[in-house]
Amino acid sequence: MELSLAWRLFKRELRQGQLLLIILAITLAVLSVSGLARVSERLQLAIQGQASQFIAADRLIYSPAKLAPELLARADALGLKTVSNQQFNSMVYSGDKFQLVTVRAVQVGYPLKGQIELASGPTRALPAAGEIWFETRLGGLLGQPETLELGNSEFRLGAEIRRLPDAGFNPFASAPVILMRIEDVAKTGIIQPGSRVSYLYQFVGTEVQLKAFEQEVKPRLTTSQEWRDVQSGESPIAAAVKRAESFLLLASLLGIALACAAIGIAAQRYCQRHYDVVAMLKTFGASAKQIRRLFGMHLLMVTLAGLGLGLLGGYLLDLGITAFLPEDIAAYSPPLLRPVLLGLGTGLISAFMFSAYPLLRLLAIPPLRVLQHNLEGVNVGMWLHLLLSLLAMALLGYLYSGSLTLTLTVVASVLLLAALLSLLGFGMIRLGHSVGMKTTNPLQLALAGLRRRARQNALQLVGFSSALVLLLTILSLRQDLLDEWQKQLPANAPNYFLVNIAPDDEQPLAAFMAEKQIATTDIYPVIRGRLSRINGEDLLSREQLDAGEQGRLGIGRELNLTWREQLPPNNELLQGEFNRNAFDVSVESGVAERLGIVMGDKLTYSIDNRELVVTVSSIRNVHWETLQPNFFMIFTHEALAQFAYTSMASFRLEEAQRPVLIDLIQQFPTLSIIDVGTMVEQLRLIIAQVSLALSLVLALVVLASALVLFAQTEAGMATRQRELAVLRTFGASGWLLRSATGIEFALLGSIAGLLAVVVTEFSLYLLKTQVFELNVYPHWPWWGIAPVCGGLLVALLGVWRCRALLSLSCSELLKG
Amino acid sequence: MSSESMSCDSQSSESVPRESAINVVNLKKSVITQEGELTILDGINLHVKPGQSVAILGPSGSGKSTLLGLLAALDTPSSGEIWLDGVALSDLNEEQKASLRKQKVSFIFQSFMLVDTLTALENVMLPAELAGVRQAREKAQQMLERVGLSHRLTHLPKQLSGGEQQRVAIARAFICEPKVLFADEPTGNLDAANGHKIADMLFALNQESDTTLVLVTHDMQLARRCQRQLLMESGHLSEPEHSNAQAPEAGSQDCSETERAGPKAVTAADDGAMPTRESGTWN
Repeated sequence: MELSLAWRLFKRELRQGQLLLIILAITLAVLSVSGLARVSERLQLAIQGQASQFIAADRLIYSPAKLAPELLARADALGLKTVSNQQFNSMVYSGDKFQLVTVRAVQVGYPLKGQIELASGPTRALPAAGEIWFETRLGGLLGQPETLELGNSEFRLGAEIRRLPDAGFNPFASAPVILMRIEDVAKTGIIQPGSRVSYLYQFVGTEVQLKAFEQEVKPRLTTSQEWRDVQSGESPIAAAVKRAESFLLLASLLGIALACAAIGIAAQRYCQRHYDVVAMLKTFGASAKQIRRLFGMHLLMVTLAGLGLGLLGGYLLDLGITAFLPEDIAAYSPPLLRPVLLGLGTGLISAFMFSAYPLLRLLAIPPLRVLQHNLEGVNVGMWLHLLLSLLAMALLGYLYSGSLTLTLTVVASVLLLAALLSLLGFGMIRLGHSVGMKTTNPLQLALAGLRRRARQNALQLVGFSSALVLLLTILSLRQDLLDEWQKQLPANAPNYFLVNIAPDDEQPLAAFMAEKQIATTDIYPVIRGRLSRINGEDLLSREQLDAGEQGRLGIGRELNLTWREQLPPNNELLQGEFNRNAFDVSVESGVAERLGIVMGDKLTYSIDNRELVVTVSSIRNVHWETLQPNFFMIFTHEALAQFAYTSMASFRLEEAQRPVLIDLIQQFPTLSIIDVGTMVEQLRLIIAQVSLALSLVLALVVLASALVLFAQTEAGMATRQRELAVLRTFGASGWLLRSATGIEFALLGSIAGLLAVVVTEFSLYLLKTQVFELNVYPHWPWWGIAPVCGGLLVALLGVWRCRALLSLSCSELLKG
Repeated sequence: MSSESMSCDSQSSESVPRESAINVVNLKKSVITQEGELTILDGINLHVKPGQSVAILGPSGSGKSTLLGLLAALDTPSSGEIWLDGVALSDLNEEQKASLRKQKVSFIFQSFMLVDTLTALENVMLPAELAGVRQAREKAQQMLERVGLSHRLTHLPKQLSGGEQQRVAIARAFICEPKVLFADEPTGNLDAANGHKIADMLFALNQESDTTLVLVTHDMQLARRCQRQLLMESGHLSEPEHSNAQAPEAGSQDCSETERAGPKAVTAADDGAMPTRESGTWN
């Protein structure tokens, strides 16, 4: 019986549009979760796929010594493909000429991801046994020989390398790179006990295999061994990828939160609308069980409708976006299962958690309501509703994002909003005592209404302000991220780096560039030096610390030092003033934090076996993602004038200008030219994709906010109906009522706007400091714009809804 | 006119009447307000026989609706006892009360209380479906035919006039052949002409199905069409002696149904006396 009755109610109410709001809300939640999950998974796969080329693998272990064989055996057992590499510096000889090179010795199978780019184009091959491939400039440095000696062996010179996929971005690598087979290393006899060799182990496999391997192996690594993935911060795009992922997660999370709010409001309306039905059914003898089953099934049907529509919508959303994506991204096809499960879970959890409280109240409606229309039965505590809602949101958030920080940030913001609202609500209720109904002018009428309906208004504010908070947060973050990326990659971002510029070459090089009309960046002198002491205290290496020595951990490698008169572009001064005195040094904030360096510390460097003591006078923030020369330590010219240096610069070359490179190499054979063009292009592509996703997410959030605003106004109307009727009956003009309603909604909207700004600034602070590592700054214009726009928007919605009510006759209103 | 032949049974009978549709003994209802305890009903005694029609008259706020709620097992008294068709309500929990209502009781309200999203037919089906009646649809259809709405089966309440809506409500009230029908101002929301029609229909069906009717109203004319008129004043119920004696003609000429039903009502009213143990409250 209940089933057929529930089905009949569902059918009829659906046809009459009463279920539209709640179904839409559930649909939106499911749609945004399932659709965005799949889109963002697709993007993540594409991004990771591209990014993993930068480490030529999915995962990497870096170790100063050979890895224990059983670890590699585990990788094998788990089905991972592994490639071992060795990397060391050595001298190569050709006749009477010699040159320091970085040797990269690889196993067959390298690279696991990406391709080696040769001067003749990309290849999948490797050097043959007894052969080495070399960086173009090595030929220049050694006078284009046919063979060269490395240790005890002689090698044929094979292809010229333009770029190794995992060369990384290190414009300071001064030695040219040669590539050879790992089997050939032994016969060179270079590697002896105590030789400085880096061992790299690269892995590819499925996410599951990699995860299993990571869980097993990572805890067993020593502190001097490093586990790296695409996002370990080694590639310049890692930060961008990480932020974009977080943003997508957050946006979908906020989308869920919004949809949940919409569901909550819609569920409340849904239940209120059924109060009389329940009272009537109980009067006619329906048992509690019958009513529970009836509305349980009814709500289930509503939820199923929302789920079905939402999944369909999510599928279409994914289909639509994929159609706009470049082919190589669209080609990635993540499994459907997770988005579908996430969508279903979201729909079910949010529908039931957010309807639980209204439903409890609905079921508790006493039958006596048929005679006493104001009876609403037992008032289950509002706290239960809040608790359930918060729990549902946190659960969904965590399920979806898997990030505790993100989830807690959202929960903290919700709590702040709730605290502010209850404070405000309490204030309004206090003010509301002794306020009657004044009908002289619309403003007074509106104010009186606002205070009289304090309790409902506080509830309404929840909807209005949460919609605005989420909208503002997403708007601001999206803008900040896009700005940040734009800053990193201006249209004329350099695609070549010049390093090892000898002081004597500086002038001729500048002349050459001017002649070819190529703009270069500033020239940065580079001096290599080691930070040895802080305030006189010796710094230790990681190996020393591992061996149990007490003390401060140093950097463990030589740093590239430079001098400069002004703060470089893309740097922000966080503390102090930039190099005012001769022996001042400006330190990058990250390294300062890692080494515990504070303003005024005395740093001792050893450069060319000489010592230099300088004082920390400023701390800078550096945007490492910018493909520009960036430095940890910047000195004054006076301090470094005594040391030998080479210089570096970067410039942009259009594709058509490429022949210039050949001239450049011929004229300055000792220069190192680093091509970062491919990297820039890839970065650009990724940013374009992510920007698209961000805009899409924004559109969804706007949609969700609109739905919440609409639902909330709808709910507000119900409480006003009777009062409007009374005022109308007593002859209040339509103009007065419209203005009063408009002003009341406008005031509500303004308060919501103001609250929203406070909460948004708070949540942005949390998000930017804890998740996105972006600069925090106040959005002063918002403090004006949000209340005004909020007021305007809500007032328009209110008056528009009110129009329908005001067109009804008094008797219809009173009956309603 | 039938009203002449109606009489009030203000005399007492046995204390646990088996022959009564409704029996009320020393009923009290008070509520706690901010100003303290407020007594709404004070020592009500009432005996209604099966098939009898009783009107409860009285000014607003006198406690009519509260009494109706208590009699219909929708509310719980502060003290006293109610027997509905021989069942003591104080022995029942909410579920059992609901079950009792499902089996024996029905309602008509001033504001119709139709489910505005369901059609006329579906509204009428509701109580039958709740009670698990097979062929609820066919029965509902028959009921709507009897109230002259066979052409309005698939209309929604808002597509019906007030009179039509109340006819739907009447059809709904009778579909389960209730022992007792409670009507709360059934014509209160209707104009005079429609009010009369509805009243005719109500009394006709009431007679046909031999249902006990308890009707709360302001309307003297409507009240006079009942066999008994009780007056509620500040929580006390009284039954004026020969309450129907001074009744004028019961309004319109559409009363033929009522007149025809008259004699049956007389017999019903004549053969018993009401409990008067607490006759003080009856004045």
